[in-house]
Amino acid sequence: MTRTRTLALAAAGVIGLAAVAGTGTLASAAPSASTVIATRQANYKKMGAAMKTLKDELQGSADKGKMVAAARTLAATVRVQSKLFPDGSGPSSGVKTDALPAIWTNRAAFNADMQKAMTEADKLVAVAGSGDKSAIIAQFKATGATCGGCHRQFRADD
Amino acid sequence: MSETMTATGSTRIWDLPLRLFHWLLVALIAFSWWSGEEHYMEWHRLSGYAILALLVFRLWWGFTGSRTARFTQFVRGPGAVFTYAKTLFSSSRHTADGHNPLGGWSVIAMLLAIAAMVIAGLFAVDVDGWESGPLAYWVSFEQGRSAAEFHETVFNVIMALIILHVAAIVFYLAVKRMNLLRPMITGRRTKTAEEAVEDARWSPAMALIGIVIAGAVAWFVSTGFRF
Repeated sequence: MTRTRTLALAAAGVIGLAAVAGTGTLASAAPSASTVIATRQANYKKMGAAMKTLKDELQGSADKGKMVAAARTLAATVRVQSKLFPDGSGPSSGVKTDALPAIWTNRAAFNADMQKAMTEADKLVAVAGSGDKSAIIAQFKATGATCGGCHRQFRADD
Repeated sequence: MSETMTATGSTRIWDLPLRLFHWLLVALIAFSWWSGEEHYMEWHRLSGYAILALLVFRLWWGFTGSRTARFTQFVRGPGAVFTYAKTLFSSSRHTADGHNPLGGWSVIAMLLAIAAMVIAGLFAVDVDGWESGPLAYWVSFEQGRSAAEFHETVFNVIMALIILHVAAIVFYLAVKRMNLLRPMITGRRTKTAEEAVEDARWSPAMALIGIVIAGAVAWFVSTGFRF
Protein backbone atom coordinates (compact mmCIF):
# COMPACT_ATOMS: atom_id res chain seq x y z
CA MET A 1 0.00 0.00 0.00
CA THR A 2 2.59 2.49 1.18
CA ARG A 3 5.03 1.24 -1.40
CA THR A 4 2.57 1.67 -4.25
CA ARG A 5 1.82 5.15 -3.08
CA THR A 6 5.51 6.08 -2.89
CA LEU A 7 6.03 4.76 -6.39
CA ALA A 8 3.04 6.70 -7.67
CA LEU A 9 4.33 9.87 -6.03
CA ALA A 10 7.78 9.31 -7.51
CA ALA A 11 6.28 8.80 -10.94
CA ALA A 12 4.21 11.97 -10.58
CA GLY A 13 7.34 13.84 -9.50
CA VAL A 14 9.29 12.69 -12.55
CA ILE A 15 6.47 13.70 -14.88
CA GLY A 16 6.20 17.04 -13.10
CA LEU A 17 9.93 17.71 -13.42
CA ALA A 18 9.83 16.79 -17.08
CA ALA A 19 6.95 19.21 -17.58
CA VAL A 20 8.80 22.02 -15.80
CA ALA A 21 11.96 21.33 -17.80
CA GLY A 22 9.91 21.33 -21.00
CA THR A 23 8.32 24.69 -20.24
CA GLY A 24 11.71 26.09 -19.27
CA THR A 25 13.22 25.11 -22.60
CA LEU A 26 10.31 26.61 -24.49
CA ALA A 27 10.45 29.78 -22.45
CA SER A 28 14.15 30.33 -23.08
CA ALA A 29 13.69 29.72 -26.79
CA ALA A 30 10.95 32.35 -27.16
CA PRO A 31 9.00 33.60 -24.15
CA SER A 32 5.36 32.85 -24.79
CA ALA A 33 2.70 35.51 -24.25
CA SER A 34 1.35 33.58 -21.28
CA THR A 35 4.78 33.48 -19.59
CA VAL A 36 5.33 37.19 -20.07
CA ILE A 37 1.84 38.00 -18.84
CA ALA A 38 2.22 35.76 -15.78
CA THR A 39 5.58 37.35 -14.97
CA ARG A 40 4.39 40.93 -15.23
CA GLN A 41 1.25 40.14 -13.21
CA ALA A 42 3.38 38.60 -10.45
CA ASN A 43 5.59 41.71 -10.58
CA TYR A 44 2.63 44.05 -10.28
CA LYS A 45 1.49 42.11 -7.22
CA LYS A 46 4.95 42.56 -5.76
CA MET A 47 4.65 46.30 -6.43
CA GLY A 48 1.18 46.42 -4.91
CA ALA A 49 2.51 44.73 -1.78
CA ALA A 50 5.38 47.24 -1.64
CA MET A 51 2.93 50.14 -1.96
CA LYS A 52 0.87 48.69 0.87
CA THR A 53 3.97 48.34 3.05
CA LEU A 54 4.86 51.99 2.44
CA LYS A 55 1.33 53.13 3.18
CA ASP A 56 1.10 51.03 6.35
CA GLU A 57 4.46 52.31 7.57
CA LEU A 58 3.62 55.93 6.79
CA GLN A 59 0.39 55.61 8.78
CA GLY A 60 2.07 53.63 11.51
CA SER A 61 5.55 53.20 12.91
CA ALA A 62 7.41 54.54 9.80
CA ASP A 63 10.11 51.86 9.99
CA LYS A 64 13.02 53.14 7.88
CA GLY A 65 14.34 49.72 6.88
CA LYS A 66 10.95 48.49 5.69
CA MET A 67 10.26 51.68 3.75
CA VAL A 68 13.64 51.66 2.00
CA ALA A 69 13.26 47.98 1.10
CA ALA A 70 9.74 48.56 -0.27
CA ALA A 71 10.85 51.60 -2.28
CA ARG A 72 13.75 49.59 -3.75
CA THR A 73 11.39 46.78 -4.71
CA LEU A 74 9.19 49.32 -6.49
CA ALA A 75 12.04 51.00 -8.35
CA ALA A 76 13.67 47.71 -9.39
CA THR A 77 10.42 46.03 -10.42
CA VAL A 78 9.05 48.91 -12.48
CA ARG A 79 12.31 48.80 -14.51
CA VAL A 80 11.71 45.13 -15.28
CA GLN A 81 8.05 45.80 -16.09
CA SER A 82 8.87 48.27 -18.84
CA LYS A 83 10.46 45.39 -20.79
CA LEU A 84 7.58 42.98 -20.23
CA PHE A 85 5.13 44.33 -22.78
CA PRO A 86 6.40 42.82 -26.05
CA ASP A 87 4.23 42.85 -29.15
CA GLY A 88 1.56 40.14 -29.01
CA SER A 89 1.30 40.08 -25.23
CA GLY A 90 -1.95 42.03 -25.12
CA PRO A 91 -5.56 40.78 -25.12
CA SER A 92 -5.08 39.57 -28.72
CA SER A 93 -2.86 36.79 -27.33
CA GLY A 94 -5.97 35.11 -25.97
CA VAL A 95 -4.47 35.04 -22.48
CA LYS A 96 -6.49 36.79 -19.79
CA THR A 97 -4.92 40.19 -19.19
CA ASP A 98 -6.06 43.65 -18.13
CA ALA A 99 -3.43 45.23 -20.38
CA LEU A 100 -5.32 47.31 -22.94
CA PRO A 101 -4.50 47.36 -26.67
CA ALA A 102 -3.75 51.09 -26.22
CA ILE A 103 -0.32 50.07 -24.84
CA TRP A 104 0.70 48.90 -28.31
CA THR A 105 -1.22 51.45 -30.36
CA ASN A 106 0.02 54.35 -28.25
CA ARG A 107 3.42 53.00 -27.34
CA ALA A 108 5.18 56.36 -26.96
CA ALA A 109 2.73 57.54 -24.30
CA PHE A 110 3.00 54.20 -22.50
CA ASN A 111 6.79 54.32 -22.50
CA ALA A 112 6.70 57.91 -21.24
CA ASP A 113 4.42 56.81 -18.35
CA MET A 114 6.79 53.96 -17.51
CA GLN A 115 9.71 56.39 -17.53
CA LYS A 116 7.83 58.74 -15.17
CA ALA A 117 7.15 55.84 -12.81
CA MET A 118 10.85 54.91 -12.77
CA THR A 119 11.90 58.50 -12.09
CA GLU A 120 9.45 58.96 -9.22
CA ALA A 121 10.24 55.52 -7.74
CA ASP A 122 13.97 56.37 -7.79
CA LYS A 123 13.24 59.61 -5.94
CA LEU A 124 11.23 57.58 -3.42
CA VAL A 125 14.22 55.30 -2.82
CA ALA A 126 16.35 58.39 -2.22
CA VAL A 127 13.98 59.87 0.34
CA ALA A 128 12.61 56.71 2.02
CA GLY A 129 15.40 56.44 4.58
CA SER A 130 15.66 60.17 5.28
CA GLY A 131 13.37 60.18 8.29
CA ASP A 132 11.61 63.23 6.83
CA LYS A 133 8.09 61.86 7.00
CA SER A 134 6.34 64.66 5.14
CA ALA A 135 8.87 64.42 2.30
CA ILE A 136 8.36 60.65 2.11
CA ILE A 137 4.59 61.06 2.07
CA ALA A 138 4.82 63.64 -0.71
CA GLN A 139 7.06 61.37 -2.79
CA PHE A 140 4.90 58.33 -2.03
CA LYS A 141 1.93 60.25 -3.42
CA ALA A 142 3.89 61.39 -6.48
CA THR A 143 4.91 57.80 -7.17
CA GLY A 144 1.39 56.48 -6.66
CA ALA A 145 0.07 59.14 -9.02
CA THR A 146 2.27 57.79 -11.83
CA CYS A 147 0.81 54.30 -11.24
CA GLY A 148 -2.76 55.63 -11.32
CA GLY A 149 -2.12 57.86 -14.32
CA CYS A 150 -0.87 54.96 -16.41
CA HIS A 151 -3.54 52.53 -15.22
CA ARG A 152 -6.40 54.85 -16.15
CA GLN A 153 -5.27 54.88 -19.76
CA PHE A 154 -3.71 51.47 -20.23
CA ARG A 155 -5.37 49.01 -17.86
CA ALA A 156 -8.87 47.55 -18.03
CA ASP A 157 -11.05 48.54 -15.10
CA ASP A 158 -12.53 45.35 -13.69
CA MET B 1 -57.02 57.01 3.41
CA SER B 2 -59.05 53.95 4.39
CA GLU B 3 -58.40 50.76 2.44
CA THR B 4 -61.35 48.71 3.64
CA MET B 5 -64.91 49.63 4.47
CA THR B 6 -64.43 49.17 8.16
CA ALA B 7 -61.17 51.05 8.50
CA THR B 8 -61.65 53.91 10.85
CA GLY B 9 -58.20 54.90 11.95
CA SER B 10 -54.57 54.01 11.97
CA THR B 11 -52.00 52.58 14.30
CA ARG B 12 -48.22 52.98 14.39
CA ILE B 13 -46.39 49.76 13.57
CA TRP B 14 -42.86 51.00 12.74
CA ASP B 15 -41.09 53.49 14.99
CA LEU B 16 -39.29 56.52 13.60
CA PRO B 17 -35.67 55.41 14.29
CA LEU B 18 -36.36 52.10 12.56
CA ARG B 19 -37.73 53.85 9.48
CA LEU B 20 -34.81 56.26 9.43
CA PHE B 21 -32.46 53.26 9.69
CA HIS B 22 -34.21 51.60 6.76
CA TRP B 23 -34.20 54.55 4.37
CA LEU B 24 -30.71 55.73 5.26
CA LEU B 25 -29.49 52.21 4.58
CA VAL B 26 -31.19 52.25 1.17
CA ALA B 27 -29.56 55.58 0.32
CA LEU B 28 -26.13 54.58 1.62
CA ILE B 29 -26.07 51.22 -0.16
CA ALA B 30 -26.89 53.03 -3.40
CA PHE B 31 -24.21 55.63 -2.69
CA SER B 32 -21.63 52.98 -1.75
CA TRP B 33 -22.29 51.14 -4.97
CA TRP B 34 -21.93 54.30 -7.05
CA SER B 35 -18.83 55.63 -5.28
CA GLY B 36 -17.20 52.20 -5.46
CA GLU B 37 -17.87 51.86 -9.18
CA GLU B 38 -16.53 55.35 -9.83
CA HIS B 39 -13.49 54.84 -7.58
CA TYR B 40 -14.34 57.75 -5.28
CA MET B 41 -12.70 55.80 -2.49
CA GLU B 42 -12.71 58.55 0.10
CA TRP B 43 -16.49 58.81 -0.27
CA HIS B 44 -16.79 55.04 -0.46
CA ARG B 45 -15.03 54.60 2.88
CA LEU B 46 -17.14 57.30 4.57
CA SER B 47 -20.29 55.66 3.26
CA GLY B 48 -19.09 52.33 4.67
CA TYR B 49 -18.47 53.87 8.10
CA ALA B 50 -21.99 55.33 8.04
CA ILE B 51 -23.40 51.88 7.18
CA LEU B 52 -21.36 50.39 10.03
CA ALA B 53 -22.94 52.94 12.38
CA LEU B 54 -26.40 52.00 11.08
CA LEU B 55 -25.71 48.31 11.70
CA VAL B 56 -24.53 48.94 15.25
CA PHE B 57 -27.60 51.06 15.87
CA ARG B 58 -29.90 48.37 14.46
CA LEU B 59 -28.30 45.76 16.73
CA TRP B 60 -28.90 48.02 19.74
CA TRP B 61 -32.43 48.82 18.57
CA GLY B 62 -33.15 45.10 18.25
CA PHE B 63 -33.02 44.96 22.03
CA THR B 64 -34.19 48.44 23.01
CA GLY B 65 -36.55 49.61 20.24
CA SER B 66 -40.32 49.36 19.98
CA ARG B 67 -41.84 45.86 19.98
CA THR B 68 -41.77 45.41 16.18
CA ALA B 69 -38.07 46.34 16.10
CA ARG B 70 -37.01 43.68 18.62
CA PHE B 71 -35.30 40.47 17.59
CA THR B 72 -37.33 38.53 20.17
CA GLN B 73 -40.50 39.57 18.33
CA PHE B 74 -39.48 38.60 14.81
CA VAL B 75 -36.77 35.93 14.97
CA ARG B 76 -38.85 32.76 15.07
CA GLY B 77 -38.16 29.03 15.05
CA PRO B 78 -38.55 26.72 12.05
CA GLY B 79 -42.03 25.63 13.20
CA ALA B 80 -43.44 29.15 13.05
CA VAL B 81 -41.68 29.82 9.74
CA PHE B 82 -43.12 26.64 8.20
CA THR B 83 -46.62 27.33 9.46
CA TYR B 84 -46.47 30.85 8.08
CA ALA B 85 -45.00 29.72 4.75
CA LYS B 86 -48.01 27.45 4.19
CA THR B 87 -50.34 30.47 4.31
CA LEU B 88 -48.15 32.51 1.97
CA PHE B 89 -50.31 32.12 -1.13
CA SER B 90 -53.62 32.54 0.64
CA SER B 91 -55.19 35.95 1.04
CA SER B 92 -54.99 35.71 4.82
CA ARG B 93 -52.97 38.38 6.57
CA HIS B 94 -50.53 37.76 9.34
CA THR B 95 -52.06 38.48 12.69
CA ALA B 96 -49.18 40.29 14.37
CA ASP B 97 -47.65 43.56 13.22
CA GLY B 98 -43.97 43.71 12.35
CA HIS B 99 -41.88 41.23 10.40
CA ASN B 100 -43.67 37.94 9.74
CA PRO B 101 -41.81 34.69 10.62
CA LEU B 102 -40.44 34.36 7.09
CA GLY B 103 -39.63 38.05 6.63
CA GLY B 104 -37.82 38.06 9.96
CA TRP B 105 -35.20 35.69 8.56
CA SER B 106 -34.92 37.78 5.45
CA VAL B 107 -34.07 40.72 7.73
CA ILE B 108 -31.42 38.63 9.51
CA ALA B 109 -29.97 37.51 6.17
CA MET B 110 -29.84 41.11 4.97
CA LEU B 111 -28.17 42.35 8.16
CA LEU B 112 -25.60 39.52 8.08
CA ALA B 113 -24.79 40.09 4.41
CA ILE B 114 -24.33 43.83 4.96
CA ALA B 115 -22.20 43.15 8.05
CA ALA B 116 -20.02 40.77 6.01
CA MET B 117 -19.75 43.46 3.34
CA VAL B 118 -18.63 46.13 5.81
CA ILE B 119 -16.15 43.85 7.60
CA ALA B 120 -14.59 42.71 4.31
CA GLY B 121 -14.34 46.34 3.23
CA LEU B 122 -12.45 47.27 6.40
CA PHE B 123 -9.67 44.84 5.40
CA ALA B 124 -9.82 45.28 1.63
CA VAL B 125 -6.82 46.44 -0.41
CA ASP B 126 -7.03 47.53 -4.04
CA VAL B 127 -4.95 45.94 -6.77
CA ASP B 128 -2.33 48.73 -6.54
CA GLY B 129 -1.91 48.59 -2.77
CA TRP B 130 -2.91 52.26 -2.94
CA GLU B 131 -6.44 52.31 -1.51
CA SER B 132 -7.43 50.25 1.50
CA GLY B 133 -9.82 49.87 4.40
CA PRO B 134 -8.77 51.21 7.81
CA LEU B 135 -7.90 47.76 9.20
CA ALA B 136 -5.97 46.55 6.15
CA TYR B 137 -2.70 47.20 7.96
CA TRP B 138 -3.49 44.14 10.10
CA VAL B 139 -3.29 41.85 7.05
CA SER B 140 -0.93 41.15 4.16
CA PHE B 141 -1.40 42.47 0.63
CA GLU B 142 -2.65 39.04 -0.52
CA GLN B 143 -5.12 38.76 2.37
CA GLY B 144 -6.31 42.30 1.67
CA ARG B 145 -6.86 41.36 -1.99
CA SER B 146 -8.89 38.33 -0.90
CA ALA B 147 -10.97 40.60 1.34
CA ALA B 148 -11.59 42.90 -1.65
CA GLU B 149 -12.66 39.97 -3.81
CA PHE B 150 -14.97 38.71 -1.06
CA HIS B 151 -16.32 42.28 -0.78
CA GLU B 152 -17.28 42.14 -4.47
CA THR B 153 -18.86 38.70 -4.12
CA VAL B 154 -20.98 39.72 -1.13
CA PHE B 155 -22.25 42.67 -3.17
CA ASN B 156 -23.98 40.16 -5.47
CA VAL B 157 -25.53 38.45 -2.45
CA ILE B 158 -26.86 41.80 -1.22
CA MET B 159 -28.23 42.57 -4.69
CA ALA B 160 -30.04 39.20 -4.70
CA LEU B 161 -31.51 39.89 -1.25
CA ILE B 162 -32.65 43.37 -2.30
CA ILE B 163 -34.35 41.93 -5.41
CA LEU B 164 -36.04 39.29 -3.23
CA HIS B 165 -37.11 42.01 -0.77
CA VAL B 166 -38.67 44.20 -3.46
CA ALA B 167 -40.27 41.17 -5.12
CA ALA B 168 -41.84 40.20 -1.79
CA ILE B 169 -43.32 43.68 -1.42
CA VAL B 170 -44.82 43.48 -4.91
CA PHE B 171 -46.11 39.97 -4.10
CA TYR B 172 -47.84 41.17 -0.94
CA LEU B 173 -49.46 44.00 -2.84
CA ALA B 174 -50.61 41.86 -5.76
CA VAL B 175 -51.58 38.63 -4.01
CA LYS B 176 -52.39 39.62 -0.46
CA ARG B 177 -53.53 43.17 -1.22
CA MET B 178 -51.26 44.50 1.50
CA ASN B 179 -49.31 47.71 1.04
CA LEU B 180 -46.06 47.20 2.97
CA LEU B 181 -44.37 50.25 1.50
CA ARG B 182 -46.57 52.95 2.97
CA PRO B 183 -46.17 51.88 6.62
CA MET B 184 -42.38 51.87 6.15
CA ILE B 185 -42.69 55.54 5.13
CA THR B 186 -45.45 56.79 7.45
CA GLY B 187 -44.96 54.22 10.20
CA ARG B 188 -48.72 53.57 10.27
CA ARG B 189 -51.27 51.13 8.93
CA THR B 190 -55.04 51.49 8.87
CA LYS B 191 -57.01 49.75 11.56
CA THR B 192 -60.63 48.87 12.13
CA ALA B 193 -62.72 50.29 14.94
CA GLU B 194 -62.99 46.94 16.75
CA GLU B 195 -59.26 46.35 16.68
CA ALA B 196 -57.59 46.78 20.05
CA VAL B 197 -53.99 47.42 19.12
CA GLU B 198 -51.44 49.66 20.74
CA ASP B 199 -49.14 51.99 18.87
CA ALA B 200 -45.53 50.84 18.67
CA ARG B 201 -43.82 52.82 21.41
CA TRP B 202 -40.16 53.80 21.58
CA SER B 203 -37.86 55.69 23.90
CA PRO B 204 -36.02 58.74 22.51
CA ALA B 205 -33.45 58.34 25.31
CA MET B 206 -32.69 54.78 24.18
CA ALA B 207 -32.46 55.97 20.59
CA LEU B 208 -30.02 58.70 21.61
CA ILE B 209 -27.81 56.26 23.52
CA GLY B 210 -27.85 53.96 20.48
CA ILE B 211 -26.84 56.80 18.16
CA VAL B 212 -23.92 57.74 20.43
CA ILE B 213 -22.71 54.11 20.65
CA ALA B 214 -23.07 53.62 16.89
CA GLY B 215 -21.20 56.83 16.10
CA ALA B 216 -18.41 56.02 18.54
CA VAL B 217 -17.90 52.49 17.18
CA ALA B 218 -17.84 53.69 13.57
CA TRP B 219 -15.39 56.46 14.43
CA PHE B 220 -12.99 54.17 16.31
CA VAL B 221 -13.04 51.66 13.47
CA SER B 222 -12.51 54.39 10.84
CA THR B 223 -9.26 55.40 12.54
CA GLY B 224 -8.09 51.78 12.44
CA PHE B 225 -8.05 51.98 16.26
CA ARG B 226 -5.08 54.36 15.91
CA PHE B 227 -6.11 57.56 17.60
